[in-house]
Amino acid sequence: MAMRDECAKSLLKKPSTLVYPFEKYESIPGSRGKIVINTLESSDNKCIGCGLCIRVCPAFALEMIGKGPTCDMKWYAGRCVFCGECVDICPRSAITQETTYDLADSNQDGLIYDYKRKRNPEGNVKE
Amino acid sequence: MSWQVVAYDLFSVLIYPGIIFLVALALFYQWVDRRVYARAQNRYGPHHTGPRGLLQPLADLIKLLAKEDIEPSAVDKMIFRAAPILLLTLVFTALFMVPISGTSAIVSFEGDLIFLIFIMTLFAILAFLAGWGSTNRFSLVGGMRAALQTLGYEVPLAVSLIGPAILAGTLSVSNIVAWQAAEGFWSILLNPLGFGIAIIGIIAIIEVVPFDIPEAETEIVAGWQTEFSGRKLGLLRLAHDLELVFVSGLVVALFLGGPTGPIPLIPGIIWFIIKTVIIVFIIGFIRAQFARFRIDQMVSGSWKYLVPLSILQIIILQLYLMI
Amino acid sequence: MSDSTFTIPIGPQHPALKEPEHITVTIDGEYVVDVKVRLGYVHRGGEKAFEARTYTQGLYLVERICGICAMAHQLCYANNVEGLLGITPPRRADFIRTIIAELERVHSHLLWVGIAGHEIGWDTLFMYTWRDRELVLDLMELATGNRVTHATNAIGGVRRDLTPDMINQILKGMRHLEERVKYYAKAVPAERTVMKRAVGVGILKPQEAVDLCAVGPTLRASGIKRDIRKDDPYSAYDETPFDIITNDGCDVAARVLVRVGELFESLKILDYCIEHLPSGPIRVRVPINVPPAENVSIVEAPRGEDIHYGKSNGTDKPERYKVRAPTLANWASVPTMLKGGYVADLPITLAAIDPCMSCTDRIAIIDIGKRKKWVGSTDQLRRHIKKCHGK
Repeated sequence: MAMRDECAKSLLKKPSTLVYPFEKYESIPGSRGKIVINTLESSDNKCIGCGLCIRVCPAFALEMIGKGPTCDMKWYAGRCVFCGECVDICPRSAITQETTYDLADSNQDGLIYDYKRKRNPEGNVKE
Repeated sequence: MSWQVVAYDLFSVLIYPGIIFLVALALFYQWVDRRVYARAQNRYGPHHTGPRGLLQPLADLIKLLAKEDIEPSAVDKMIFRAAPILLLTLVFTALFMVPISGTSAIVSFEGDLIFLIFIMTLFAILAFLAGWGSTNRFSLVGGMRAALQTLGYEVPLAVSLIGPAILAGTLSVSNIVAWQAAEGFWSILLNPLGFGIAIIGIIAIIEVVPFDIPEAETEIVAGWQTEFSGRKLGLLRLAHDLELVFVSGLVVALFLGGPTGPIPLIPGIIWFIIKTVIIVFIIGFIRAQFARFRIDQMVSGSWKYLVPLSILQIIILQLYLMI
Repeated sequence: MSDSTFTIPIGPQHPALKEPEHITVTIDGEYVVDVKVRLGYVHRGGEKAFEARTYTQGLYLVERICGICAMAHQLCYANNVEGLLGITPPRRADFIRTIIAELERVHSHLLWVGIAGHEIGWDTLFMYTWRDRELVLDLMELATGNRVTHATNAIGGVRRDLTPDMINQILKGMRHLEERVKYYAKAVPAERTVMKRAVGVGILKPQEAVDLCAVGPTLRASGIKRDIRKDDPYSAYDETPFDIITNDGCDVAARVLVRVGELFESLKILDYCIEHLPSGPIRVRVPINVPPAENVSIVEAPRGEDIHYGKSNGTDKPERYKVRAPTLANWASVPTMLKGGYVADLPITLAAIDPCMSCTDRIAIIDIGKRKKWVGSTDQLRRHIKKCHGK
């Protein structure tokens, strides 16, 4: 009964585990979570469609739809390994990583994030 | 026999303090046990279903009853199907002889303590049969261990349970409780050693750590229960919880004065629940303290230490009675 | 086989094994008579996958060989590719790598103590050590950004610098950990049921350990003083003072004591590295294409020696990459440890080598009769598999 004191103390203490879906773990600053790609036209850090992130990604989690500065980006959270290589390599710092960690979804489509550009009704990118 | 007597008997067997009440109590004790075990490990335990997770055992039971019941083609069908039902029947039979609401049990006769000890042995025999009938390697090993373990705990447990009977001069559990109520003291005062051995023995009966050797999860999967699933597993689990009520109730009846207490206004059932919850609490806390013994360590340790101690307890009692 | 023995299959699915691996145990009553180990259930084709990835992408594949010694594998890979390139990382990067690697050792050993407790039915120990391990994971998340697969090494350095704030938090966390480790070092040997299950169980004599090529804590628990960190120092281990913990017990208890001792040594190394952390850059730029060369790198993972072999061909992808995870070296000694023991001691003895089965599974088909290696195309392999399954 070597741990009896510890156990007896624990009986009176609040458990150290969390009641997860109701209580959430506070994410640590700098932790690697959700990938956000900036495709806003007004911003200085917008995506220019160079495709470096797609070349460097070890998990094939990014996809470029269209070409060049008018492309849309897709991020597959289910494939991502959260290494942050794309964040490091982006020449315009258009890719940022939030600390959001609970990205799981009951639906496959919920794991695909679309980062689309604003378009005119004719389908051209608004300038 | 008038219809009132028949109705009363039916009520006491089926509802209170009979089958329905006992099942409710069993599920409640499972909750207490899981909760204490979890809190001793600094985690929550069941907390979501119902107030403070009280309905979690019921939810588990319903889930198991509703699940697919797989019966492997190689099993001995009769033993395999009969084992859960027989085990449940045995536990209920035993529980009817334990005083729960008053000093007298539903069934009581002179010598029922011996009968109860016999039933406790039958639990292990049934576990062995269930393991044998499953024709699974893990079940077989588990069943053999269950039978071997009986060799370890049976003798010291029986001797320590006889202690209160010697004091009261009767072999009926109900009469022992009545004697304690009449004398106004609990037999634990003269039987501290016997009480400790009885606690160890009942832990071995309900097969939890450190004596969960017959169903050691990491060694032989689930031991003799490996092949059971669905309804049968649900009944086995329920029988296990009822065993917990039975053994704690028996210890309370023999050593702690049963459903009686120093304040006469409080009904007996409240005393019974308070005392048994304390026993369940002790079992849950002990469960968190130990690693599992090996079967040879368990049997040899029990013959080396428990048997001499239980006999010493009897000698002390005899000396006390002579003075 | 006589009538009194029968075989129990342990695995591929078994509660004692957290990963699929098959062990056929022949028992006589409660005694183990014979043990056969069969590997290969989680072959993932990792080595072939390296050949299709660039060196940078390989960094994240190599981490996933083992979730628990992710840093050790990645460090070994980075060392290997740096060797192929002929560059040395900056000194500060060496120290940061050492800090993360030692944090990982603390987390791995704490995890192991918990698993060992669980295997002998003491779940309380499991819950408490894993609670404290959570703190190490938090510290690693703080320092690298990820909890398990840290993605902290780059070829030519590390990707994230340690700020003074992080260092303060790591130091604070370490003080707490030291207290907890001291508590476990006292409480576990004091628990008699644990010692009853561990002393004299799973004996591996020193000569046998050497003959069977055991590595890591399993070898050191047989009294052999061997540690890559001392024998062939990499990163910052060349100037870090620490002792190699050995024990002459040769049993499971000795393996527990060696690992607990190593926890203290790790905390000592962490202290030294944080105190002597040099300033400077953390990363050097490296070319994408690697000139043709061959290299072998060895790292002391929490479970033992981790050996990587790399061959480059002048492109940005390796020609061949071979990994020998530490558990593979330890499997050979498992039958020796188990024979003659009890069935009940099987889980704890298995757990005592800290097996990480998925890391070990590689395929090499060798025809023993012809003493010839067999290299086949995908089609041939498929046919071979069909033949094995009797189709």
